[in-house]
Amino acid sequence: MKVLVKADNVGKTFIRRSDAGRWRDLAAGVWRRSAQKPLWALRGVSFEVAAGEMLGIVGANGAGKSTLLRLLGGIGKPTTGSVEIQGRIGALLELGGGFQGDLTGRENATLAAVVAGLLKREAVERLPEIVRFAELEDFIDVPVRTYSTGMIMRLAFAVAVHTDPEIMLVDEYLSVGDLAFQAKCAARIADLRGRGCAIVFVSHGMDQVRELCDRALWLRRGEVVACDSARSVAAAYEQEVREESLRRTPVAPARPTDMGTDLRPRENRFGSLEMEITRVVLRPGPALTTGGTLGIEIGYRAESSLPAPVFTVSISRPDGTVCFDTNTLSARAAVVQVKGSGTIRLVIDRLDLATGSYFVDVGVFESSWSHAYDYHWHVYQLTVEGGSTHKGVLAPPCRWSVVETTGPARVKERLTAS
Amino acid sequence: MTTSTNSKRNEHHRWQHARDLFAVMVDRDLKILYKRSSLGFGWALVTPLLQLFIFLFVFRQVLGTQIENYASFVFIGVLVFGWFQGALGMSGGLITGSKALVTQPGFPLTLLPHVMVGVRLFHFVIALPILFGLLWWQGIRPSLPWISLPVLLVVQYLLIVGLAYPLASINVIFRDTQHIVGVLLQLMMFLTPVFYSLETVPPPLRPWFYLNPMVGVVQSWRAVLLDGAWPDLRVVASLLVVGIVLLIAGRRIFVSQSFRFAEEM
Repeated sequence: MKVLVKADNVGKTFIRRSDAGRWRDLAAGVWRRSAQKPLWALRGVSFEVAAGEMLGIVGANGAGKSTLLRLLGGIGKPTTGSVEIQGRIGALLELGGGFQGDLTGRENATLAAVVAGLLKREAVERLPEIVRFAELEDFIDVPVRTYSTGMIMRLAFAVAVHTDPEIMLVDEYLSVGDLAFQAKCAARIADLRGRGCAIVFVSHGMDQVRELCDRALWLRRGEVVACDSARSVAAAYEQEVREESLRRTPVAPARPTDMGTDLRPRENRFGSLEMEITRVVLRPGPALTTGGTLGIEIGYRAESSLPAPVFTVSISRPDGTVCFDTNTLSARAAVVQVKGSGTIRLVIDRLDLATGSYFVDVGVFESSWSHAYDYHWHVYQLTVEGGSTHKGVLAPPCRWSVVETTGPARVKERLTAS
Repeated sequence: MTTSTNSKRNEHHRWQHARDLFAVMVDRDLKILYKRSSLGFGWALVTPLLQLFIFLFVFRQVLGTQIENYASFVFIGVLVFGWFQGALGMSGGLITGSKALVTQPGFPLTLLPHVMVGVRLFHFVIALPILFGLLWWQGIRPSLPWISLPVLLVVQYLLIVGLAYPLASINVIFRDTQHIVGVLLQLMMFLTPVFYSLETVPPPLRPWFYLNPMVGVVQSWRAVLLDGAWPDLRVVASLLVVGIVLLIAGRRIFVSQSFRFAEEM
């Protein structure tokens, strides 16, 4: 396969300068190149992305992911090494950043398409398709300032994927719109890949990386930790999160919970405790009938202000098998700045689990999954009753019937749902 | 397809795209300027007219200036210098005010000064019919030298873009540039014969005035429109050379600094 993106020993330094110090720096620059010690945002980064390939970039906040994406896009130039790009770049870096509030969706979309590299005529031709993709038929002729953030994102994404990019640079695109729209985006991305588009994708979600990417590059403080198959890098990254969480877990006394089990740090509780889970309540209660609705309320407290923490809930069996797992990041639930205390609730409309006992594991993580703030493992017990008592973890509604028979066999139809 | 026709096609496509991009960007800027004002594009006409009335009142009624056809005399100065001042006044904020485009991979930033000068040129051109009406009313009829006007437009365009390039890039690093330029433009307006005649300047000082390129441009416009004469060829030719040199050097500075733009935002 033809290599479209090639980074060779890329390094980037930034020099922090105060506004007032600029004139002095200029004077100092006459004698010396720089008065201050440079700060390496990236160092010795090398990789290649071939046509039709998708590379994930993972790492904690401030690891240099966005800086790398910008350099690939030709914005700024690397301090050391080189970046080689072959083909037209489509970028989803700051979705909708260039939109003008007073102009209509149509005017903005046409402009954005021409800016992205289409001729005016082509942009006008493709506009109906773009509008249909963004599902904005009814709003395309009103000023963008009346749009919701979601609408702006949808329009920007629609333009970007309809401009025939040969290389796509994507910064967390899957946080666009509802689940149905995301599925459409993912399908479009797959379609672009099929046509030989190389994609570089920055993500915090290891599930996304595993699902979408061929390979992944893991950055830590600007340096490459690993560059391998997406599966192995995601696993290594998650392992690192666990270790980092353990390392940061303070030695603290055990604390009783409403559910009877004590919380013992480093045993069934992990995390830096910058933010604490103060209370977990299951509704209607710790016992549930198969197929019933389960509500999980998580009370939290944060001493200082923390940006966009990620809440997770998973249901597992005593042996550790995970039956269900979700988090606010992949479910696109907006948790913004958190300070003080509050409660967040997850409602599972139908929990079709087989009879047995389970644990509800809850946690809250740093916004880029670098470590856990607080994670409670196998503390909150859940008992499910009334479903099938056979093997397996699921007990969804189901029924048997005979479709075709040569002999006189009849099964009395019966609903086995709870 | 052979490589040479392919590259020729690409080259053609590149130019076509640059033209389209220029057109949609100018269109965007004009819409942003006027979309939410009730008078809309009308402001492009009203602003220079109001300026004209102010100058007429102050200089003819209050100060009693005795210049023939003073209304069109002043209006030429107001329009020609207005284009220069309007464009360069905006040039400082060209990059610093376009963060989204600066961080857009593949966007040709070198186009931005052209877009901005183009927007101001549009304002200039839209007001020209008023100037021609004024001249007609004062009894001046078109003459052959008028065909040199497009050359004057080109000369001024080159001068403005050539100055806008370095100003836009310097302002990224030293934000003070924008403010300094504003003050300098104010000063320049008084050093350009917008509302007075160069004849009133003592003869030994006059050649020095021509160091200000706008003096030559304004004088040429007046020679053509008011006297029906050809502009001074030496002046126009040297301004053309200055304009081309400024454009090439200015663009060089801009391109060599452009890698910094995203970092300094």
